[in-house]
Amino acid sequence: MTNDSTHAATAEVTAIDTQARVPLTLLLAAGLIWLVISGVLGVITSIQLHTPGFLADCSFLTAGRAQAMRETSFLYGWIANTGLAVVLWVLGRLGGSPLRALNWTVAGTIFWNLGLAVGLVGIGLGDMTSFASFQLPRYVGVLMLFAYAAIALPGVLAWSGRRSHGLFASHWYGVAALFLFPWLFSAAQLVLLWSPMRGTLQAVAGGWYTQSLWSLWLAPLALTGAYYIVPKVAGRLMPSYDFAPLGFWTLIFIGGWTGGRHLVGGPVPAWIPTMAVVACTMMLFHYILVGLNLRIASQAGGTAIKFIRFGLVAYVLTGTLDALTSFRVIAVETQFTFMATALEQLGVYAGISMMLFGALYYMLPRLTGRPWASAALTTGHRVLVSFGVVLLVATLAVAGWTQGSDLLDSKLALGEIFNRLRVPLMVGTAAQIALVAANLLLVVNFFRSACVCCATSTPSETPFRQPSALEAHAS
Amino acid sequence: MSTPLNSDPRIDQAAVTDESLQSAHDVLLGKQPDEKARYKLLPLNLLFLFSGLIFLAGTYLNRYAGHFDPHIYNENSIPVKGGAVAAVVVDPVVAGKKLFNNAACNTCHMVNGVGQPGAIPPLVGSDWVTGSEERIIRIVLHGLQGPITVNGANYNSAMPPFGRVAGSGFNWSDDKIASVVTYVRQEWGNQAPPVTTAKVTEIRTKDGDRKPWTVDELQKLP
Repeated sequence: MTNDSTHAATAEVTAIDTQARVPLTLLLAAGLIWLVISGVLGVITSIQLHTPGFLADCSFLTAGRAQAMRETSFLYGWIANTGLAVVLWVLGRLGGSPLRALNWTVAGTIFWNLGLAVGLVGIGLGDMTSFASFQLPRYVGVLMLFAYAAIALPGVLAWSGRRSHGLFASHWYGVAALFLFPWLFSAAQLVLLWSPMRGTLQAVAGGWYTQSLWSLWLAPLALTGAYYIVPKVAGRLMPSYDFAPLGFWTLIFIGGWTGGRHLVGGPVPAWIPTMAVVACTMMLFHYILVGLNLRIASQAGGTAIKFIRFGLVAYVLTGTLDALTSFRVIAVETQFTFMATALEQLGVYAGISMMLFGALYYMLPRLTGRPWASAALTTGHRVLVSFGVVLLVATLAVAGWTQGSDLLDSKLALGEIFNRLRVPLMVGTAAQIALVAANLLLVVNFFRSACVCCATSTPSETPFRQPSALEAHAS
Repeated sequence: MSTPLNSDPRIDQAAVTDESLQSAHDVLLGKQPDEKARYKLLPLNLLFLFSGLIFLAGTYLNRYAGHFDPHIYNENSIPVKGGAVAAVVVDPVVAGKKLFNNAACNTCHMVNGVGQPGAIPPLVGSDWVTGSEERIIRIVLHGLQGPITVNGANYNSAMPPFGRVAGSGFNWSDDKIASVVTYVRQEWGNQAPPVTTAKVTEIRTKDGDRKPWTVDELQKLP
C-alpha cells in the first residue's frame, strides 16, 4: 500500500515547503513576537479598566494609547504576519510548484514590521489617528503598503502560475485577501488622513474600514487556511461544496456594507445604519455556508483541527451575534458597552486567531521537516489559550450586558454603574494574563522547533505519512 | 479512515494529497449528472432559509431606510413632500409660557406671577386662576376693569382684552388663549386642569363683542 519511493507528486513534504522555510518562518516568528507584545499591552489596558490610576502618569502607556497599541499590534502584527504566511504557503501548495520571488517576502517582512514598530512608537507618542483599527500614524502608511506588496508578491505569482486549471476555495479566499487589503488600506488612508472627508462622513468611512478589514481581510486570511487544512486532514470531500462560491461572494459583496452598524443612533442619514443591519442579516448566508462546508472538522482529530474547530464555532457565532446585536432594539443595550468589546474579541481572538493557531501548528512541521519540539507545550498552549479566550469573552459579555442595562436605568449614578463592573473586569484581567502565559508557551515551542541549532538530530526518515488520493465521489 | 492518524499532538498528518484535493472538489463545482435522481433536501432547506432572510431584510430596509433620503436621520420618519405641512403637536404649556413672557402678561403680572401690590393681582395661588374656567377665560378674552380682591388683598387696575374681539389690541386666536390660560393654571405650583381651545371658542361665540368684565358681573357666572 505505502509506496516507499517518494514520488515527487504525492510526497507530503516537497521542495515547495523546504524552499519556503526561511521566509515563511520569519513571517511566523514576527507574528508571534507581536502576539506576545499585544498580549502584554492587553494586560495593561485590562488593569486600567478597573484600576484607572495604573500607569496613568506614564503618557506612553495611558489607557487610550495602550489600547490603540494593543489593537494595532494584534491586527497588523500578529494576524497580518501569520495570516500572510499561511496564505502564501497554501497558495504555494495549491500552485504545485515552489514559491517564486521569496526574497521579496523577506524584504517586505522586514519593512512591514519596521513600519509597524515605528507606527506603534508614534501611537505611544500621541500621533495616533482617531479611527478604530486604523490608529497607525499617517507617516508609516505608504511604507507599509509597499512592504505589503512585496510580501504578497509570491502569493500572486503562485496563483497566476498554478499548474491545476480549476480554483479551490482556499484560492478564492487567499487571493481575495491579498488583493483587498491594499485597496482598503489605501482608500482609508486617502479619505481619512491625506485628504480627510468632512464631518460625519469620516465616521461613515471609519466604520466602513473597520468592518471591511474584518470581513474582507482578516476573515479570508483565516478561511484560506481552514478550507485547505480541514478537508486535507479529514480526508473527505467538503459537504455542500457546490454552495461554497455563494458563501464566498456573499462575504465579498456584502461584507463592506456592514460598516454602518456602529452608527445606529449617530448623526448619519437613517438609511446607512439600516443598510448595515440588513447587510449583517444577509451575511448569515456566508456564516451558514462556511459552517456547512467545514463541519467535517468535527470528524477529524489532531492539534490543528482542534484549534480550527474552536475557531470555526466562534466564527459562526460571531456572525450570528453580529446580526442579532445590529438590530436597533438590541443595539440600544449593547452599543458602547463591553458587549461590543466581547464580540470583537470573539471574532478576532476566538475566531480568526484560533484558526491561525491551527494553521500554524499544521504548517510549521512541513516547513522544518520535523514535528513540533514538545507535545506538552503544544497541548498546554491549546488548553490554556482556549480557557483564556472563553473566560475573556464570557466576562466581557457579562460586563457589557450589565453595563448596558444599568446605563438605561436613570436612577443609577455613573459611578455606581462602574463599581458594579469591577469584578467582571478583574476576571477579564486574569483571562488576559492566562492568554499571555499560553502564548509564551507557544513562542518557546516555536523557537525550539524552528531553530536549526535546537534540533537534536536530523531524523533519518520523514515523520510524515504518505497521503492517499481523495476519491471524487466518496461518502 | 482518518481517526488513528493524528494521535501525536506534535504533528498533524494529512490524509489526502493536494492534487486529489483540488481535482475532487473541482468535480463538485462542475455540472454533475443526476444519474440516480437523488432528491437532496439541503438545497431546498437553504432556499427556504435564505428566502426568509431576504424577506426579513427587505422588509426592514423598506420600513426603516427613510426612503434613502439624505435628510432623514430618524429611522421611523419618512420624507415630507415639498409644500406639504406636517402636523405638529405643540405642548400648550410650552406655547403658553412663550406667550406669557413675550412682553404681554409678564409686564404686569411679572415673570413669576406675583403681580404688583395694590394694582395687579397675583396669579400664584389665586382662586380666580385655578377656580372656574368660565371666569378666567372671559377675563383673558375681554379684559377686566375695577376693584378685585385676591387672597384677602385689594387690587384696582385694568386688564386689556386679549381675544379676537372688538377693541382688542392683541387679537390672539382661541388656541393661544387656551395655551396661556393652561400655562398660568399649571405654573408656579398652580394645579388646575387645562382648558381646551373648543371651550374658548364656545365662550367667545356666546358672548360676542362686549366691554371688559367687572368682578360683580363675573361672580354671577358659575
